[in-house]
Amino acid sequence: MTYIWYLIALVLLVIPFSAMMFLPIKRSKPVLLGFFLIFIVFMYGPMLTMGVLSFQGPFGSMTLPAKDLGSLHWFTELRAESSLMVGVRDGITKSLWVSLVVAAITAALSLSLGMAFRRQFRGGGILFYAILLSLMTPGLLLSLGLSFLLYYIGFNKGEGMLGYVPIIGVQAVWALPFGFLVMMSVFNRYDARAEEAARDLGASSFTTFREVTLPLIWTGVFGAGLFGFTLALNEFERTFLISGAINTLPLKLYIITSSSVLRPYVYSLGVVTIIISFLLIGVFLLVSAITGRKKALAIEEDGSGVEDIPSMTAAASGD
Amino acid sequence: MGGNSAVVATTGPRRSPLTTLAWVLPGTIWLLIFLIAPLVMIILVSLWERTPVGFAAFSFSLDAYGRIFETSVFLDTLKNTIFRSLLVTGLCILIGYPIAFYLARCVKTIKFQIALFIVVLAPFWVAYVVRIIAWLPVLGRQGVINYFLVEVLGVVDEPISALFYSTFAITLALVQLYVLFMVTPIFFQLATLDEAAIEAARDLGATPGKVFREVIFPLSLPGVLIGCIFVFVLVMGEFATVRIIGGGTIQSVGTLVNDYYTIPDLPAAAAAATMLVAVMTVGVAILLRFSKIREVV
Repeated sequence: MTYIWYLIALVLLVIPFSAMMFLPIKRSKPVLLGFFLIFIVFMYGPMLTMGVLSFQGPFGSMTLPAKDLGSLHWFTELRAESSLMVGVRDGITKSLWVSLVVAAITAALSLSLGMAFRRQFRGGGILFYAILLSLMTPGLLLSLGLSFLLYYIGFNKGEGMLGYVPIIGVQAVWALPFGFLVMMSVFNRYDARAEEAARDLGASSFTTFREVTLPLIWTGVFGAGLFGFTLALNEFERTFLISGAINTLPLKLYIITSSSVLRPYVYSLGVVTIIISFLLIGVFLLVSAITGRKKALAIEEDGSGVEDIPSMTAAASGD
Repeated sequence: MGGNSAVVATTGPRRSPLTTLAWVLPGTIWLLIFLIAPLVMIILVSLWERTPVGFAAFSFSLDAYGRIFETSVFLDTLKNTIFRSLLVTGLCILIGYPIAFYLARCVKTIKFQIALFIVVLAPFWVAYVVRIIAWLPVLGRQGVINYFLVEVLGVVDEPISALFYSTFAITLALVQLYVLFMVTPIFFQLATLDEAAIEAARDLGATPGKVFREVIFPLSLPGVLIGCIFVFVLVMGEFATVRIIGGGTIQSVGTLVNDYYTIPDLPAAAAAATMLVAVMTVGVAILLRFSKIREVV
């Protein structure tokens, strides 16, 4: 039975691909536009359905059709500390704190590695691939290996403040390649003349870094930190086996999902996390837009031509 | 992310080796503790003996591998997982390439391009567990897909109850979760193509289709390759999607690793994970090999 579905999917997918392969861009464009719109529905449709279902009344179900739409019942249910909901608010608080620390560490490490890679050094190639390796290591493996390491050194998972160390560590490793690539793209279009000028005027390398370099690249550092924050906030598989009793929001969500009877509060919890994530992206876009405008104005005024516009696109860039 | 030329931006001022060390050291130590050491530990523990609660360090034996290969369960699951990863990778190319192509070459203004790219990329920042859960109302017995099939299209009389908890549902969800890892590298490859080569081909009278097949597509292959590596490796190690959407009836190597871990049989979990790493490494090596051949031809 399922093979029929695969067959249907395959036939549908061949259309845009062959349009791209055989037609001139003018003629293939409408086909590709249609496919793009379907793709957007595919990416956002499930989340949107979930969003709609989270606003049901007390008799709401897990599937369509939605009942008594327009109620915040399942959101208030999140705050009622019923048996399953115990620890949801706690989880949100913990997640936010952990993410904040991970953001700071990711920003600092990305900055220092970005500075390091401005000049060639021995072992640089290996270090570069090690950073990218964390992008390609499945989360479960990282979690498993780290839990072995903790067992080996006799570390009690999830106990006290120390219990946060492996969680923060592994989440920062996951965010590091993203932050690092942001810094690389910043330094790739970075103008070093200002630094040279400062140096010629007799500034020490520390002063140069603090007074000249840092102000020029701080949006990049901020972007790296934001990657750290959002990725840590949503991280699940890497934390799964090492968290012990510390349930961050995604872990709590997984526990609730694995429980026997699912109710729409799962959806409202999902909506809450989506809102937090998208708010953060909004803040980032706003900050880069404002600094971008400021930079543009500054360039207009003094014509210095120094630019650093680390955008989301540069962030995701491979090189 | 190819050669070293792209790696090192020589924009920096001269500096002492000590300064370099200061910049390099924190990140390196972090990676050693939280990335390299865990991966080494997996291989080591797979070679150590099992104790009731964990493992006995440095007591070498191959028993863990004996245990996972005792029945055919592990090998069958491994085969299924490899098949699933290849299928998802293939589907991601078919979906991701036209999307990347549309974004990179059909959208004219750069502002609009960036805006659309952010829209495409935004789901990446939504918690992975949430994106899996979002499939519940779509694929369920009374989900959106069944609703369309029964009520709107009338293709089937009865809702298909097997839609959820099926390999098809898992494949669909995995494609949605990982397709962005394919779109992004292809997009950047296509957006930075050598326009002169395309112009030249056009001037020499190549048809638009021919330009695509013989210039654009071959030049975009590095992006496709990077995307394939990402998707293949990440889907191989996939655990939560299979667990939540498969509902315990469908296994992957990831869920088996987790099962061994909860028994607890840590060396067996490590052995399964080691096999996983081995398959991934071989897969990536084959992909890279393939790309070398392409370069020569």
